[in-house]
Amino acid sequence: MSNRTAATHRPVRRLGFGQQLSRWDVKLSPYLYVSPFFVIFAVTGLFPLLYTAYVSVHEWSLIGGEGDFVGLENFAFTLTNPIFWTALRNTLSIFLLSTVPQLVLAITIAAVLDTNLRAKTFWRMGVLVPYVLTPVAVSLLFSFMYADKLGIVNNLLQAIGLPPVAWHSDAFASHIAIASMVNFRWTGYNALILLAAMQAVPRDYHEAAMIDGANAVRRFFSITIPSLRPTIIFVVITSTIGGLQIFDEPTLYDQYGRGGNDKQWLTITMLIQNTGWRENGNFGRAAAIAWLLFLLILLIGLINLAITRSISGSGVPRSRRTGKAVSR
Amino acid sequence: MSAERDALEAPRRRRRVRGFNRRTGFGGYAYLILVLLVAAYPLWYAFTIATGDSQTITQRSLWIWPGENFFANVQRVLDNSAVDFWNALLNSVIVSTTVAFFVVVFSTLAGFAFARLNFRGRRGLLIFVIATMAVPTQLAVVPLYIVMANLQLAGTIWAVIIPALTSAFGVFWMTQYLEQTLPPELIEAARIDGASMIRVFWHVGLPAARPAAAMLALFTFIQTWTNFFWPFIVLDKDSRTLPVALQALANNFFDDYSLIMTGVVLSIVPLLLLFVLAGKQLVAGIMSGAVKG
Amino acid sequence: MKLSRRTTTAALAGSAAVALTLAGCAGGGAAPETSSPSDEPVTLTVATFNNFGYTDELLAQYTDEHPNVTIEHTIAATSNDARSNYFTKLGAGSGLADVEAVEIDWFAELMQYSDKLYDLTDPALADRWVAWKTAAATDADGRLVAYGTDIGPEGVCYRQDLFEAAGLPTDPDEVSALLTGSWDDYFAVGADYVAATGKAWFDSAAATYQGMVNQVEAAYEDPATGDVIATENPEVKEMYEAVLDASASQSAHLSQWGPDWAAGQADGSYATMLCPGWMLGVISGNAPDVTTWRVADAFPGGGGNWGGSYLTVPAQGAHLEEAKALAAWLTSPEVQLQAFLEAGTFPSQQALFSDDALLTATNPFFGDQEVGGIFANRADAVTVAPFKGPKYFPINDAMIQALGRVDIDKTDDAASSWDKFVADVNSLG
Repeated sequence: MSNRTAATHRPVRRLGFGQQLSRWDVKLSPYLYVSPFFVIFAVTGLFPLLYTAYVSVHEWSLIGGEGDFVGLENFAFTLTNPIFWTALRNTLSIFLLSTVPQLVLAITIAAVLDTNLRAKTFWRMGVLVPYVLTPVAVSLLFSFMYADKLGIVNNLLQAIGLPPVAWHSDAFASHIAIASMVNFRWTGYNALILLAAMQAVPRDYHEAAMIDGANAVRRFFSITIPSLRPTIIFVVITSTIGGLQIFDEPTLYDQYGRGGNDKQWLTITMLIQNTGWRENGNFGRAAAIAWLLFLLILLIGLINLAITRSISGSGVPRSRRTGKAVSR
Repeated sequence: MSAERDALEAPRRRRRVRGFNRRTGFGGYAYLILVLLVAAYPLWYAFTIATGDSQTITQRSLWIWPGENFFANVQRVLDNSAVDFWNALLNSVIVSTTVAFFVVVFSTLAGFAFARLNFRGRRGLLIFVIATMAVPTQLAVVPLYIVMANLQLAGTIWAVIIPALTSAFGVFWMTQYLEQTLPPELIEAARIDGASMIRVFWHVGLPAARPAAAMLALFTFIQTWTNFFWPFIVLDKDSRTLPVALQALANNFFDDYSLIMTGVVLSIVPLLLLFVLAGKQLVAGIMSGAVKG
Repeated sequence: MKLSRRTTTAALAGSAAVALTLAGCAGGGAAPETSSPSDEPVTLTVATFNNFGYTDELLAQYTDEHPNVTIEHTIAATSNDARSNYFTKLGAGSGLADVEAVEIDWFAELMQYSDKLYDLTDPALADRWVAWKTAAATDADGRLVAYGTDIGPEGVCYRQDLFEAAGLPTDPDEVSALLTGSWDDYFAVGADYVAATGKAWFDSAAATYQGMVNQVEAAYEDPATGDVIATENPEVKEMYEAVLDASASQSAHLSQWGPDWAAGQADGSYATMLCPGWMLGVISGNAPDVTTWRVADAFPGGGGNWGGSYLTVPAQGAHLEEAKALAAWLTSPEVQLQAFLEAGTFPSQQALFSDDALLTATNPFFGDQEVGGIFANRADAVTVAPFKGPKYFPINDAMIQALGRVDIDKTDDAASSWDKFVADVNSLG
């Protein structure tokens, strides 16, 4: 760089061009770096978002097009529609049944993968295998496995002497089945994300703690988990967003894709699809439900963030014995 | 700190340190084997159905012996003109590679900026990015289609490539990874040495991001490969990707599941190949992320 | 791979589980001459779903006679996929093929936007199809906006061996006589069967109800005003209660199109099922090793039709006249006959009902019965063309769910399920 002034020895009287460039560099480059993302996003992400908001306050048919402005009527209808609340119940139930076990499993799997394994690549790629099956294929296979009469799962249950479960009639059973599909697909994926973060934790902390006499379990809870906090938050937030939008698995859970005769497993995104496409193409109402879902996701995301923050501690591992804070 | 570390290194050179670097115990392996069995079973199930005939899927038992029809079924899928397998495979490869590449590039750039550069509106924009992940895809379909049609891109593979280039997940992922693993001091040091922003990014940011970038590339590739809904709506016969093309196997009134499962297995083979070839590289890349304090 | 309701035109298994054989007749002569509106080179796209029987060889017959035309044929996997595709692109204003197939399920919905479809009225084709087929495709302004391809006349499929075990007649003619009558008669025979064997008579309440509701002129909507009358119509309530009554003992409680239902055709879970022409291919595919399925030339309540498709020309296309000509050719009797022989899609063209090639077509899986003739009779027996307005199918969906709640899921009894049905219909807006 030209114009390097020894600023510590002489007062700077005037900004050289090089320095001016440098200042612009610092100020503008962040915007430059994020701009490719936002430019494309404006067209392919922002436009649909705004379009949906616009549609939700009109009476809008998918094909007939724009109708009258109806204000919040679509929202009011949705909030007083018992089907919406059933869908909400289902969505939350499936969400909890899938996210919580998944997170626990993913952390434990990552912890084992973090140790000194033989044939590391094999194990680490192996857990990702469920992810490469398309959701369509997974749903198809699982819906056969959960078939009430000829399904493998009921067959197994009866072999051990338990009664068969009505996977497609009982609401809770259907939630468990669908959650199992989701867990199947995403656990390995999340385990690898957590593993990457675990591997980035400096070994020093562990070694220092070992010297202090902490055993593996203690180290896991006092060092690993707090160090993983940002990643755990990341996993929780992405799982929340994905989990509340769950669509493929419940749609393909039976041959009709309507969420069950008694709406046992109808999720909110399925309700959006039904309202906007299946019935009279009531796009306006579908848009309103979508915006409500969006707000719901934001709300639950924030709640999860708060919970995760408090559970995983302050993020700074402390050495109990010496009472010193180990700086990052 | 470093004196302590030297002290630790010494004994390790002499003997295997008990404790942190210990070999995985029996329990660990047992757990992993269990996990992998559960993970692999549905794939095995799909394979055994693919090797059978149309009635195989009705068998109730947990363990079905594979049949002999696999190669015959594969031939049927490859010959099926509605599927046009090789063309669809090529499309999938092009789309997935392009998207994975650009997502990593754009996300790393943006992640670097969000994580370590101070600029106005940083927090707000980041939260906005994360919030956009919450928008359900169903509703995006119609306006997105309108946009693509107006750009004369509907029916071409660009219609699936372009919307996928912006991954909020990717940006979020790189941001939080860099925040965790890229020490601000390194950037400061480089700046003091007079490097321009772009050089800082290239020499400091990128190496730190490499592990996460490798993983993001892998995940994005797989995700794009298995994507169904949007490609189904917007692509036409020549530009179809593999999952959409294989849907044509369910073309008939009566679903021959041995054929459908053969399609499923065939669509996974390229991904498994990717695992084998690139697996070691990717895993090494991922796992090299231990930034020594 | 949604196994959605396949109420569509015939599509037999690609593996040709059923081979239709001719009893001596040259199938398909020269296709009728149509004058091409322009001689410029033009590429026409045709989009169908399942299996319309339009093979490449068939389409080549058209391009041979019209060398300036190139045809590109895309096939969607299911009717539902085709529907999503159609409505999305109709809404967006572009992207549809020149000739698009529509299934009767969602055709009524599409008719609301008949102004987006090209006018296909042609006096020369006035008598080509059965009256009720054309009536459904004519909009309020009298424009014919779709050409019919196939229909789904219904008979009753039954298992000879199960009938024998119950002491019922097994010969198709005798069974036809036995099952001809009202729905009460059908259920009465069913009661005998159940008493004799303890097994189920039919597959589900919903599947049986489908047959019943297709015989009602105006089940869910008032043709004159378009108002929804489903919840008040006493006919609907009667059918609902009658079928649930019988289902308590006679139903196999298997949800139609599900894996257990499909397996039920092989393992004898039910002895009869209502069978449109295209269902033959389903049965032969699901139960390839069973040799005792037969078709009875009878249908409770007279006649019934389930399914059928049309070809439309969306007005957004670039070659409207050429597309219209192609659609007319594809739905001509000669071409439809070839399609029938290829895929089992039963034609809607009246000229064919007296054509020997159709009447003598046999089906080896069903014991070489002359299924063409059987279904021609069944088509004749259809007297009622049910009015299906835009809300027909969502309401019918709700009804199927209501029946499923009682018959399959057992989450409700008839009364509470009906209440939920009423709530669903009211919320359709």
